[in-house]
Parts: sequence; C-alpha cells; structure tokens
Amino acid sequence: MATYILRRLIQTIGLLFLLSIILFALVNLAPGGPLSAFGGKRIRPEKIGILKRQFGLDQPLPAQYIYWLAGNDWTQIDTDGNGIKDASGVRKGILRGDFGFSYRTRQPVLQEIGKRLPNTITLMGITMLVALAIAIPLGIFSAIKQYSVFDFLATTFSFAGQAVPEFWLGLLLILIFYAWLKNPWTGEPLLPPGGMFSLEGGFSVTDRISHLVLPVLTGALGWVAWYSRFLRSSLLEILPQNYLRSARARGLPERRVIYRHALSNAMIPIVTLLALDLPYIFTGAVLIETIFAWPGMGRLYYQAAVERDYPLLMAVLIIGAAFIILSNLLADILYAYLDPRVRYE
Amino acid sequence: MFTKSRTLLFLTFMVITILVLASCGPAPVSTPTGEAAPSEPPGNTVPTVETNKNITMVIAEDPPSFNPIVSDTGYDALVMELVMLGMTDIDPSGNIFPELAAELPTIENGGVVLDEKAGTMSVTWKMRNDIQWQDGVPVTADDVMFTWNAISDPTNGSWIHGSDYIDSVEKVDQYSFTVNYSSIYPGYLTQFGGEQLAIWPAHYCKADQGFVAWDCGRQPLSDGPFTLKEWVEGDHMTFEKNSNFYQAGKPEIEGVVIRIVPDAAVRKTMMMNGDADIDMWINVNTINDLKDSTTAKVSLSPTDRWVMRLFMNEAAKGTIDSTATPHPILSDVRVRQAIRMAVDVDTINKQVFYGLAHPVWTELFRPPYVCDVPRPTFDPEAAKALLEQAGWKDTDGDGVRECHGCGTAKDGYKMEMQFNTYAEYGEPLELTQQLIAEMLGNVGIKMNISVVEGSVLWDLAENGGIEQSGNFDIDLWDDGYAGIDPTEYLSEAYSKEAMTPGKGWNFFRWNNPAVDALIGETYTLDEQTRKDTFCAIADFINEEVPEIHLFTVPNADAYSARLEGVQSSVNDLVTWNIADWKIK
Repeated sequence: MATYILRRLIQTIGLLFLLSIILFALVNLAPGGPLSAFGGKRIRPEKIGILKRQFGLDQPLPAQYIYWLAGNDWTQIDTDGNGIKDASGVRKGILRGDFGFSYRTRQPVLQEIGKRLPNTITLMGITMLVALAIAIPLGIFSAIKQYSVFDFLATTFSFAGQAVPEFWLGLLLILIFYAWLKNPWTGEPLLPPGGMFSLEGGFSVTDRISHLVLPVLTGALGWVAWYSRFLRSSLLEILPQNYLRSARARGLPERRVIYRHALSNAMIPIVTLLALDLPYIFTGAVLIETIFAWPGMGRLYYQAAVERDYPLLMAVLIIGAAFIILSNLLADILYAYLDPRVRYE
Repeated sequence: MFTKSRTLLFLTFMVITILVLASCGPAPVSTPTGEAAPSEPPGNTVPTVETNKNITMVIAEDPPSFNPIVSDTGYDALVMELVMLGMTDIDPSGNIFPELAAELPTIENGGVVLDEKAGTMSVTWKMRNDIQWQDGVPVTADDVMFTWNAISDPTNGSWIHGSDYIDSVEKVDQYSFTVNYSSIYPGYLTQFGGEQLAIWPAHYCKADQGFVAWDCGRQPLSDGPFTLKEWVEGDHMTFEKNSNFYQAGKPEIEGVVIRIVPDAAVRKTMMMNGDADIDMWINVNTINDLKDSTTAKVSLSPTDRWVMRLFMNEAAKGTIDSTATPHPILSDVRVRQAIRMAVDVDTINKQVFYGLAHPVWTELFRPPYVCDVPRPTFDPEAAKALLEQAGWKDTDGDGVRECHGCGTAKDGYKMEMQFNTYAEYGEPLELTQQLIAEMLGNVGIKMNISVVEGSVLWDLAENGGIEQSGNFDIDLWDDGYAGIDPTEYLSEAYSKEAMTPGKGWNFFRWNNPAVDALIGETYTLDEQTRKDTFCAIADFINEEVPEIHLFTVPNADAYSARLEGVQSSVNDLVTWNIADWKIK
C-alpha cells in the first residue's frame, strides 16, 4: 500500500507539471487579455507599455512560463522600458512558493487566496455536512420503504432539488425570508440577505448561524438530492442479497440488519463520492457566493477569470487541480481501506 | 462492523478538518493611524447605531485600491472620494472647483503664463495652508512633488492625462508649485485632481514600493472627510468621520459602511427594505422598480456620459487601412446613412429601456460643449431607396440585398455582416442588438449577431482584440469622453493616426484630412475657438457617419429617503460631495 501511495504521489507531481503547462497555455492563449481590464474600454497606449513591463507580459510566452514556474531573480530584466536589461527580477516562481501578485490588487496571490479560503471552507463544509445529515436518513428510508408515499415524496423532492437552479432558488429565499417574512417580536427581517455576519452587535453564534441558513439551504439542496438518490439505489442493490437473508435467518433484529450489515456496505460508494466532492470545499460555489454576498473562492476565481488576472487565475487553477488529484487519490485509498476486497499492489 | 466505524471515523475526521480550517479566519487590516489591529472579532468594530448617523453603501465588488489611476474600476474612485483630496474636482454640471488648491490658476489671475511663440505654458498652483493629513501633518507642495515623481517613475509609475505634455514640476514654496508644459494643454485644471487623481502623503507612502503597488494605496492616510477603519476583503469596509477634516462641522455623517453585495437584485431589495443607503450605478430596471418606493429614491445625473453607438468599419474586416482595403459594404457613405435611417431609437428606448434612455445623435451633446446637430429621422423607406441608389438590390427575392453595380464590391456580393456587442452590459444591450438586427433586416441588410466578452472586444490587436485589429463589420457598445474636456477623446477617436492599432481608437478607420486639421486647432485656451472647432468636427461626423450615435442611459444612483444632498454625477462618483450629505 505504501509503495502504491508513493507511486501515486510521484505521478501526481508529474501530472501537475503537465497540467501547469496546459493551463498556462490555455489561460494565455484564450482570447482577451488582462490589459483590457485597465482603463475600461480604452486602454491608454501610454499605459500599455508600463503595464506590460510591470506584469512581465513583455516577455515571450515560454519565458513567461519559466518566470512563473521558477522566478526571474536569476536573470536581468528591463524595468524602465528603454530596452536595456538593467536589474534582476524579483519573482521567485511557484516552485519556491511565489505565485506572483494579482494584477487587480497588486497583492500577493497567496495572500488573496488566504483571505477567501477560510470563508469558503466554512460555507461549503457546513453545506456538505448539512446535506449529508439530511441525505443519509432520506436515502435509507426511501430504500427500506421503497414505493411508499415517503419514497415518492423523497423522489419528487430529489428531482426538484436537482432541477432547481441555485440562482433562482437563492433569490426566492431572499425574497421570502428577508423581504417578506418579519420577526414578529422585533419587526426586523427574519433572516439577513447575505454577508457572513452583522457589523453591529459583535460576535454571536446565532448571528453567524442566521447568515448561514439561506446559503447553506440553497447549496445543500442539490447535494441532498444527489446523495440520497445514490444511497437509495446503493441500498436497494444490497437489500436482496443472501448475506442479509442469512443474517435475518440467524434471528438478528431488522434494525441491526439494515444499519450494521446493509448500510456499511452501501456507504462505500458514498464515501468515495464524498471524497471526490471534497475539492468543492476549496473551489467554492460562484453563484451562491454571488447571491449571498459571501466572500469566498468562487467569486475570487470568477472575477480573476473575467478580468484575465493571470497569476490569480493560475494559482486557483493549479491549487484546485492539486486538490482534485489528491481527492481522487484519497478516494482510491479509502476504497481499499473500507472494502477488504479491493487491494492495490 | 469494521467498515461502519471506519466510515464514522472518516466523517469525524472531515468535520474536524473543516472546523480547524474554518477557524483560521482572515486577519483584519491594521489601521494607518498606527493603532493596534482590533483584537475583537471584526463584527465588533462599528458602534451600535443609536444616533443613526451611520450610512451603508452597497456595491458590487471590492475596490482594487484607493488609487483609481491604477485600475480605474469606479469602485476605487468611490472610496478615494471618501478619504483623499486632489487639487480640484468637478461638480455634476461640469464646473471645476478647488479642493487642495486655494484658487483655480487662470491667465487672468496670473496662474497660467503662455508662451505663444514657443507654444508652451506654465501653470502655478497655490495650495490651501489649512489642510492636514489625519495625523496632523500639513498637506504641502512636497506631497504634490512626491505624487508626481511616483507617477512618472518609469518602473513602478503610471500615466495621467496630459502627462506627456509635462516637462517638469517644480516646488515654489511650501504651498505652491509650478507645472511646465511643452505644449498648450487645455485640460490642466483637472490634471492633478478630478475623479481619479489624489495627492498622496510623502511622509506616509513608501516611494520604493511604487505608485501602483504601495501599501498606502490600500491603507490610505486620509485628508478627506472620512478615515478608513477596517477592510475585510469581499465583505465590507468601514469608515469613520475624520475629525481633522478642514471644512469645519463636516461631514455630518459619523460613519460609512460599504458592504460588497455582488447581485444587483439583492442590492435593490436591500434598498427597498431600508437596509442600505446608497446603491451606485443602478440600471434602468432598478430605476423603474424604485420609482414608487418610499424608502429609496433615485438621483439622476444632469447629463449622461456613455453614448451607445454603432461602430461601422470602413476598412475591410481584419484590415486597418480604409483607403487601401475599403470595406465591401460600409465604405460607401450612402450605406452608412441608410443604416442610420433604418434604426428606430425611440422604439428601442420604449421596448428595452422603459423610455428612460435619452436619444443622442452627436458626440458633443453635453455642457459646456453642446453642438446644434439636426436629429436624423427614422425613415426605412428612404433607407431602402438610398440602398437601391447605392447599387444594393435584392433581385433573388431572399430578403437580402446583393451588390448590383454598388462600386465597393463585386456584383452579387451579399449585404450580410457580422454584428458584435459585449456580454457584461447584460440583457438590455443584447435586446437592443436584436432589435437593431431586425430593423436592418427589414431594409434588406442581414446581420449575424454575436455577443463577446469585453476583454476580447477591447484587447490589444496583438492579442486578437476585435476593435483594435479591425476584425469586425459593425459593433455596438457605449463610449464617450470622461470629464468635461473632449479634446483628447476627439483626437484619439477621429484622427488618422488613431487608425493604427495601439495608437488610438479610430475603430471606424475614418480618414478625413480636414478633421485631422481641425483636431490640431482644438489645442488652445481660447474657449470660443475650441467650441467652434468641436462643432465643426461634429458636423463632419454627422455628414460622413463613421458611427451612429443612438442614445445614452441615465447615470443614476439610488439613495435612501433619509439622506439629503445626494447628487449623481457623470463627472465623478456619487460620493463626490459626501461631506455635504445630511441625514433627516
């Protein structure tokens, strides 16, 4: 197993290196460039030269990639635009942990990400936990009471949950819980329209939770539908199996048969799925963050993409890719760990 | 048995990981006054609104910094107006008023000295001596010198309008300095002020960090009505009254909270619910929705800024020289005139903009330079007749005209063109595009519509920017000059030099030597000459139709009914006069 993990980790590094070349090329070759975000519709010709030098865009693309990867502090660059290389660069490159600065804010990229990442992890983590807390019982009851009224209701709810677009649901929830419904005691809106916390009144757990309710509900709905359907079909496959029949024949109570013997096997694919969904906790959800004014990674990424903020865009893409690859590895390892039949040699 | 407990173990591990990661919250920015960063959570920094003298603004995105010269998003200028002053600023009617300046330098008061023979000028500014930074240090000519040196630094500097005409900036004494120009530069009054440039504190900003990236650009030292207290990126900014502000008794507002709320519908709902006091740059849908609101009002700027227009490429698609490679359809002025007659601006206004847009048919439509250009008539029949006369006829009955002796293309060439607009503006512009395509279809011109990202439309030619490389037939977007001085804009949009990619924005590739000569004549301080010359250029544009001006949409900001003194302006952001706002 250890050799397997080591081999996969080495593959991951190779894969990330390859990905970095592809992503760098895609991001740079896509139509549109970062300079059009400066000066609105009319980039000043006078500004173009300055900005290109400041962003390192005056170099050919392969050189830009090398500087991005390995820095430019080992070579001379032209800083004042007179065509003479007059000073050594200051970039260290991502291999030495320098992801550069954001074109938009001129702040280090990692600092930008560091400010947004905890917010996204809070929102997406809680969303995922809430989704699982609803989806698992829902899936179990739907399976053991197959074709019951409950099952039909759960099925309908799941399809609706998959089909309803987040931006529509989010706005609807804001209208209902912020604009229409009022707290009967204070006359204040029942729930805030967005943000992470109120600016008045200081820290309070209820305040934090009240800000989480709507975005978590909006985000969880799709996951609830997805996981409950998955668990239901996974359980339905297992329920008629012989080992469960023999468990019942030995006189085990039905509760024990379902929860200990059936569910533990039905959960294996769910845990794998879960591991594959982990990257969302890093990348966030653009629509939910936008509607509920949640300062997370999704919005940061979206803005970087629209404004062609290459260093920020590349950092989010590369770190996101690393998360996805590692989550896949985690899923594979977990699979072997949970299911004794699976062995990697 | 085993599997279940391991599953639980995994889930528990996940919960713990999430909680641990989530607890590493963002650190609040430290305040520039040197106070220690607040140790309590960020939610505790604004006092409870007992007097209700705090206001909340909702805006779509974080400002990149307080320095609009660097990235010009509008949000940076919005917050700059809260904390920073320039030499001058412009009011909504286009009048320039002094901020740091004691008076506006003119020829009459001796502030401006012209050297007619050499064609140069020098401007001496006198500054107020009663303005201090929030730490009590006076704002002096040293700060101006420091700011200019930082801007003109070739490595970490930037560019301000007219800076190419500046030979040198010299300090005269503590409160005055002289700018020497290599040319007559009519825009000198707003060069060190206006909506974009602030004077930066020499004793606080670090020159070696560079103008574009220095820390004081994000944690500014204030000489304006407010000081920055806290900035949690992507969420909110808080400001409190600057007790050191030079205008006694102002501002009346005690504190300003800016919340970042990306979704326009949510911002509007917050305004209607009375939870927000300012929503800047609202669109026509919101203006329409707020018209009956009791909690929110709408302030319209007395003039508009952005003119929606059709850019018609007189050079063949993908080329930039309209003389060597003329456009097969659009190089004939009669075709351009016919297109103008075929577009019904009033219908677009009624169907898409609730009648709130203002039809505009010339570049020079706002004070102080208003030219009397007759409004073109909407007449599709006349448009058809003109197209027939120009040699474009539909003989095969498919509804699309072909060239039959048109003179600009081979016989049989179809009157079919690419028609672009940009995506960021949103639905109203896409509907406008569809309506125009339909209107042109009615006179036999087939338009293939496409919507592209702004970063593709306006990028450099070498990156495939559609406008700069001339890779279009007809484009639809909004443009116009900033501030009150169209001089540079006209030169950059209509001169022959501006046809070359990277040299300007003559995207129509309109080449008229007479206009080139007129543009040269606008560089003077004689107002009557300037006005006459601008209008002569406007007449040329009207006759030769390199572009078709359509309409402007109102420049509007929503404000809560409890505020007084809010006045939207195209010359600045809504916060331009925040020191004068009152709370009922």
